[in-house]
Amino acid sequence: MVKKSLIALGALLLMFPTMAFADDPTAGQLNVGLNALWVMLAGILVLLMQGGFILLEAGSTRMKNAGHVAGKTIFTLGLASIVYWAVGYGFTFGGDASESLNKFIGLGNFFFDPGHAAAEGDSYPSSVFFIFQLAFAAVSLSIAWGGFAERAKLSAYLIFTLFFVSVIYPVVAHWIWGGGWLAKDGAQDFAGSTVVHLTGAIGALAATILLKPRIGKFNKDGSANEILGHNQVFTALAVLILWVGWFGFNAGSTVAIGDGFFGFVAFNTQLGAAAGAVAALLISWLVNGKADITAMLNGALAGLVAITASCAFVDPWAAVVIGLVAGVLVFFSAKFFEKIKVDDPIFALSVHGAAGVWGTLANGLFATEELSGKVGIGKAGLFEGGGWGQLWVQAESVIVCGAFAFAASFIVLWVVKQVIGFRVTEEQEIIGLDLSEHGNYGYPEQMKKAGTSV
Amino acid sequence: MINPLWETRLLDIAGAETIEQLKSVRESEQNRLAAKLLSSASPADEVIEELNRLHDALIARVLKLAENDLARSGFSAPPVPYTYILYGSAGRYEQTLYSDQDSGLVYAEAANESEEESNRSYFARLSQVMVESLIELGYPPCEGEVIASNSNWRMSIQEWECKIDAWFAEPSWENVRYLLIVADGRAIAGDHELAQRLQNRFFGDMLGTPVIAGRMMENTIRHKVLVGVFGQLLVERYGENAGSLDMKYGAYIPMVNACRLLAIQAGIRETSTLKRIDALNRSDVLTDEEANDAKQAFIVFLRWRLITTCSPDNGELQGTGKIRVDQLPKEAIGQLKQALKAGKQMQRRVQRELQRRFGGR
Repeated sequence: MVKKSLIALGALLLMFPTMAFADDPTAGQLNVGLNALWVMLAGILVLLMQGGFILLEAGSTRMKNAGHVAGKTIFTLGLASIVYWAVGYGFTFGGDASESLNKFIGLGNFFFDPGHAAAEGDSYPSSVFFIFQLAFAAVSLSIAWGGFAERAKLSAYLIFTLFFVSVIYPVVAHWIWGGGWLAKDGAQDFAGSTVVHLTGAIGALAATILLKPRIGKFNKDGSANEILGHNQVFTALAVLILWVGWFGFNAGSTVAIGDGFFGFVAFNTQLGAAAGAVAALLISWLVNGKADITAMLNGALAGLVAITASCAFVDPWAAVVIGLVAGVLVFFSAKFFEKIKVDDPIFALSVHGAAGVWGTLANGLFATEELSGKVGIGKAGLFEGGGWGQLWVQAESVIVCGAFAFAASFIVLWVVKQVIGFRVTEEQEIIGLDLSEHGNYGYPEQMKKAGTSV
Repeated sequence: MINPLWETRLLDIAGAETIEQLKSVRESEQNRLAAKLLSSASPADEVIEELNRLHDALIARVLKLAENDLARSGFSAPPVPYTYILYGSAGRYEQTLYSDQDSGLVYAEAANESEEESNRSYFARLSQVMVESLIELGYPPCEGEVIASNSNWRMSIQEWECKIDAWFAEPSWENVRYLLIVADGRAIAGDHELAQRLQNRFFGDMLGTPVIAGRMMENTIRHKVLVGVFGQLLVERYGENAGSLDMKYGAYIPMVNACRLLAIQAGIRETSTLKRIDALNRSDVLTDEEANDAKQAFIVFLRWRLITTCSPDNGELQGTGKIRVDQLPKEAIGQLKQALKAGKQMQRRVQRELQRRFGGR
């Protein structure tokens, strides 16, 4: 067998001598290849974060909705991919808009055709970049679902996906990443504390306001009930999957191998997440007298969300501070939302909203001169001798993006509510969405319909 | 404290021939005491003391009636001396307006086996009547089955002594719980010497097995004083009691546990928490200041514990032992926090001392 192969190989070499003496790849080709591999790997990691969201949302909700919660994530991922390909990507990165229009929205590249290989002069193939960006849009969308959980109609998911992925998310992404007006102002949001997390969280906020709290969440006298998720192990595993996926999210946002800067970004990411988990557990222990697992898991995610904007702009000590603050913030934020009777089943508003705002603002405090120069966006923050300028730009981007995302999401969902209805009926909510929306339980053995036989 | 009103009450109780009559005395007395407590003119410890004298008188009378009842139905007088023992809050003179029965019974040893058998059946019958009468009078039975009608808590003195020895010899979680219950026991009526002998056995064994104190701490430490590191009140966060503080298990019980443990280690035989604190002070386990702080705190706990079981808007008779903190005036919250901090200090002190002596687990 070996002998035959060798003979065949020898014959081939005689017939096609150029194969043996093909040119070595150029440095440029190697660079493109390595970048492409890295961005592709990062894109896969970010896409895998959907697995985290499935477990996070399913674990934090009740058994009767588990199949729906998990399955709808895959469905909307599919729908989002097609919508993003058709229009979302074009509005974000299209380069055909006039200069004045481009401040607000991109045009071009609709029904995106990435070509078969990297174009001359590009540092990676745009196909890989598309996949990477699509995964971000899908993450933002999945964050918004936190506000829909356990009571929205399936049709509302479908319609919201159409508008969120085609317009709402692309507009914010364009402003900050696509050469829009906030990018021109030097807004620092390295991997999307605002673009991805705040936008998604604001979508969740609009949804949860319009949907109103789940049945049984609040009592007549205003006190809250605890609606425990059905599987805390799922929730913990979800956080780990998201955490690992975040290396693609943040470190991948360098979209280049270059001098190995992505390693530093990953390094800061780890520190931020770690500090968030530690701070949240300790603060819950101190305040409630019991160390709360849910709070700790939220703290890890909040640390990740907060460090997302700043991971490339701050020194490691600042990454720890940002994570610690995020962990404490998310704990009090969750308490606050409960107090004002906003039902936030997956803590999306606190984890992605409050921590997203904090992470974005943190750049205005801790961004260093050197790193801002290296990334090429904005300048140093307040504590690094840069004055108030950067902090102002950061605040501006939070307020404007938040306001836009809220108005747009609210309008879309309000129209849905008026026209087809947003929330399932009381009866459907009580029997669970698995049965009412899909006709089958996610856990059939545990959730037998009364009166039916095996 | 000579109180003419009280003297008449005692006469009423002593003259009562039916549970119905006792019930009406109980109701009118309790209404008076509840009003007294809520007027906040008198300190909670005074009200508690009066209330427990009332309970004692009632229970003793019920026992007498039960004996009479047995005599009428063909049993003779009690064949041997016996003592009816109260455990739990009754044992500690800390019953509220609506406490349940925790009780036991000990009777003298018999001369031979057949006598033993007849004693057994007499006291079984007596306890049964007694417990049922008390239920009728408004004392629900103990959910944990610590009650004289349960043969595990109704034995001859010999059997009792063996049992206590066995509990000390095998300090499993359950057995340690029994020992903690026994530590609060006191005689209500009958031959007090029998109760004395039980106490002697308990404290003798205590000296012989000092490690038991560590096990006792582990058995009780899960009920923490509900005040946080920032001095904040640790209220319930969810459900129908959201915003309320569990006065029973988050203040009163931890304090009872801490004082009991210190007391039995020091060989103090008092069963009331306040008296235990005084005795601890006398035997220099607690300084004057510590003892004073602990007493003040405990009186605050007693007061709230009583109020949660008799507030007029609390339609049900059985209190939750929880108070809605957000509805309290500011000064009351301040007082409560201070008391809880003192309680926590006491709990910490016991924990630290025992951990130093016996190490952690």
